[in-house]
Amino acid sequence: MDPKHIRNFSIIAHIDHGKSTLADRMMEVTGTVKARDMKAQLLDDMDLERERGITIKARAVTIFHEKDGETYMLNLIDTPGHVDFNYEVEKSLQACEGALLLVDASQGVEAQTVANAYLAIEANLEILPVLNKVDLQHSRPDEIAEEIENSIGIDATDALRVSAKTGLGVKEVLDEIVNKIPPPSGDPLDPLRALVIDAVYDEFRGIIVYLRIVDGTIKERDVVYLMGTDKVFEAVEIGRFSPKMVRINVLHAGEVGYFISNIKSLGDVRIGDTMCMNKAKGIEMLPGYAPPLHMVYADFYPTASGDFEGLREALTTLTLSDSSLDFEPVTSDALGFGFRCGFLGLLHMEIVQQRLEREHDMDMIQTAPTVTYKVRMKSGEEIEIHSPGALPDPDKFEELLEPIARISIMVPSEYVGVVMQISVEHRGDYIRQEYLSRNRVQIVFDVPLAELIYDFYDKLKSGTKGYGTLNYDLTGYRADNLVKLRVIVNGKDVDALSSIVHFDVAERRGRNVIAKLRKDIPRHQFEVPLQAAIGGRIIARETIRAMRKDVTAKCYGGDITRKRKLLEKQKKGKRRMRSIGNVEIPQKAFLSVLGEGEKKK
Amino acid sequence: MRQSGDAHCASPDLINSPAKRAPKGTPLYVHLPFCVHKCPYCDFFSIVGQNEDHEKFLDTLLAEAEIRAPRSPRTIFFGGGTPSYFTAPQLERLLAGLERITGYRSSAEEVTAECNPESLSLEKAILMRELGVNRLSVGIQSLNPATLKFYERPHSPEEALAAVDAVRTAGYERWSADLIHGAPGEPLSDIEHNIRQVLDLGASHISAYGLTYEPGTPLYASLKKGAFEPQDEDRELENLAEARRVLFDAGLNAYEVSNFATNGQECRHNLNYWRNGGYVGIGPSAASHVEGTRTGNARSLGRWSRDVLDKGAKPAWSETLEPIDRLGETWWLGLRLAVGVDPAEARALAKWEGPDPTEPIRERLLEQGLLKTMENRTYIPESGLALTDYIGKQFLSPGA
Ligand SMILES: Nc1nc2c(ncn2[C@@H]2O[C@H](COP(=O)(O)OP(=O)(O)O)[C@@H](O)[C@H]2O)c(=O)[nH]1
Ligand code: SF4
Ligand SMILES: [Mg+2]
Repeated sequence: MDPKHIRNFSIIAHIDHGKSTLADRMMEVTGTVKARDMKAQLLDDMDLERERGITIKARAVTIFHEKDGETYMLNLIDTPGHVDFNYEVEKSLQACEGALLLVDASQGVEAQTVANAYLAIEANLEILPVLNKVDLQHSRPDEIAEEIENSIGIDATDALRVSAKTGLGVKEVLDEIVNKIPPPSGDPLDPLRALVIDAVYDEFRGIIVYLRIVDGTIKERDVVYLMGTDKVFEAVEIGRFSPKMVRINVLHAGEVGYFISNIKSLGDVRIGDTMCMNKAKGIEMLPGYAPPLHMVYADFYPTASGDFEGLREALTTLTLSDSSLDFEPVTSDALGFGFRCGFLGLLHMEIVQQRLEREHDMDMIQTAPTVTYKVRMKSGEEIEIHSPGALPDPDKFEELLEPIARISIMVPSEYVGVVMQISVEHRGDYIRQEYLSRNRVQIVFDVPLAELIYDFYDKLKSGTKGYGTLNYDLTGYRADNLVKLRVIVNGKDVDALSSIVHFDVAERRGRNVIAKLRKDIPRHQFEVPLQAAIGGRIIARETIRAMRKDVTAKCYGGDITRKRKLLEKQKKGKRRMRSIGNVEIPQKAFLSVLGEGEKKK
Repeated sequence: MRQSGDAHCASPDLINSPAKRAPKGTPLYVHLPFCVHKCPYCDFFSIVGQNEDHEKFLDTLLAEAEIRAPRSPRTIFFGGGTPSYFTAPQLERLLAGLERITGYRSSAEEVTAECNPESLSLEKAILMRELGVNRLSVGIQSLNPATLKFYERPHSPEEALAAVDAVRTAGYERWSADLIHGAPGEPLSDIEHNIRQVLDLGASHISAYGLTYEPGTPLYASLKKGAFEPQDEDRELENLAEARRVLFDAGLNAYEVSNFATNGQECRHNLNYWRNGGYVGIGPSAASHVEGTRTGNARSLGRWSRDVLDKGAKPAWSETLEPIDRLGETWWLGLRLAVGVDPAEARALAKWEGPDPTEPIRERLLEQGLLKTMENRTYIPESGLALTDYIGKQFLSPGA
């Protein structure tokens, strides 16, 4: 299609403001998906997405819209709304010329509304503000339009008002996209340049590469070259997303689609790479994607029954469809060989862990997430560590520095006091506060990132009854009085359970960890002493009593199968456990260093 | 593992064809589900029998026996439920019917029936004896009225003693008593008191169970509601030790975790379960184990009778273990026995060839003192008995 009739746009918003639902309606009113094939949040097709009701991966779909007797091809990218997946949003925006900034007109501007809007501004996109959920009685579109102007500084007086649920105003949004969003600039006759925007592994067809064609045209049978990985492939199948893959043989400049060439080796495809014709001369690589900034690190170790090579392969496969994940091999005294992984945040970490378990049937242990610390050594050298276990002896270093996050929190004004208090309790420094509208406030703090992942988010959620939302950026490093909190299980130091904490709270956190471990580690045939220590000083101790009775009184012919299954299940509960010395430590114990209360796991 | 039935995926070969008859001599279990009242701790398939059609039940049961019961069984066990709940004429019909189908009277060395004090009369005891039953197991549970009340047993201590009298008068040489210890607030001295009284009356076998709160039972629900204070683990261990002390003093052997007998008086039918032998069970919920495949009947009267009458006695579920898992199962069951397991016998029974996967498991447990060996048998020593499940579990799915 002629690029003049193409529009590429992303839908961006805070989580739950209705992006995926709006995408549903757009597919429906344009007849992309037949009514009987329609289901809510159709593009969220990963099991985990449907279960949790969130979008994790951006998904593209091509729809056709008629306006003034002409047909336009609209390539829509639905994006995730959670702060951890900003990177996914950033990538999507690079394949677009415009973005719909969707705001729930009953909730108002939230932290990710602002964060995502800034991403779109940075990417130089045309932004169309859209007020959603106007079908709700308590929606306040005028007030919310004002919030948009105050917080983001874009004109929202003409913001379209829609209901992604009822379909009200959706056609007008499509018209507006055609009117306001510029067509892509590439020329179908130029030499091919395509951006690799995503990829998934298919057991039968190899790696499926998602492309945004920037310049030129690609047809089936073309022999192409991936500039970054230095690989040549023949286009076996070319198509677009409708939203299922539909073969169409050819893609032109400005279009989004897929490319199949039976690529089996995971290393052959890199997200952000540039594709051009084989042997083409003088092609300049596209800017690609900036590497993601990892906020937290955690180690994955195979359990006794899991295996190391299998885990490596699973991680490699996963990085294909999640290019923000990073991993490298590590060894631990207690846990043996494993991988240290870098994540964009806690939700990202949880999703990766669950995908490894479900999609790759991995059985593994994950250590508590930690931030990156910098250590200024006495020798003058500065090193970075990604795990408390790697901290050098205190007499070897001068200073320990931790990352500081600038967090911006949006709340209804009645919660300002609560938020202030939570921030102070987490070593926060107040920066500023602004009213977005009569009763909505943005508060900005600097808080150590470690505090943010400890339990700040849970506290904020419960303290503001779910109304508080936050976004954060790293601003730099700061030295503080930090110490390593050691955990000793049955006389053995377990690095994987240690953490770096502020001296002032060390004792309380130590008692906390030990109390949680006492609940989480099952009883053994012997007593298991637990201790927390700072340096050589024990600050907390507890003992897990020995298990002395585990016997079924009655077991006869009628119950053999049932009882055996019961015992097998109890034994299976031992999956996701690791023995350290002769103590079996279950997965949830490794996360006990996080949070004050019960941690959901 | 191949599985089918309720919770599992279907295994058509097994499920759709009518049951195959087990080899001659295979032990037979007969499940008679009716009781006067449902005890709150009971997790057997038992139902209050009052409004049920007992004659129709017997018709169906005999129909199932026609299809599946083995010829000339070595042992028979009538369990439940409460077999003595049936009237004398009904018992007669049942036993005569089974005799016609299986010819057990000339083949079975042991025929046991479970009885409860509230329904066992001298008449029934005599009748059963005349029809070939040669061992009774009496559900006494306790001789303390308060404890019986907590268990909601529909009989008094006096009725229990009267039932035992009937057993003796009818001339049974082999009889057993079921006792349960560990009711909330039960004094430790009750254990000795109960056991001694029963032994003084001539029991040659005692099953002494620790009270178990099985999920799904009313007693479990009251426990979770905090309706009473259960005994703590230390006390339960003390109970176990006390029961064993009294029984040993009286000259009984602990041949299984909860079963005690004087020499030669062990229950042969039950021994076969722990040796992982084959058997056929008929009646609702009854399980069978024939040539390595375990099957089970529906735990519902209606469904069981439809399965029998309309589908040629089709089991509700079935599973066939791989040799390696069968080997694990053999160890788990066998370690409940005082004599333990002979590794070579276990391998042969499971048809497992090749290196023995239980060896590293055994070695670890031997090191921990949770297993011992004597000649070629491996068993759980006295000190490890309270951890029998923990030990047994280690052997399950040894290949995983
Ligand atoms: N009442 C109403 N509910 C909506 C509307 N749009 C979305 N929702 C609901 O809001 C929730 C979040 O929608 P979803 O599309 O998953 O949001 P996303 O996280 O931004 O993709 C779902 O329960 C939707 O049914 C709307 O216009 N009106
Ligand atoms: S008498 Fe026996 S089978 Fe019947 S309910 Fe009580 S314990 Fe269960
Ligand atoms: Mg979504």
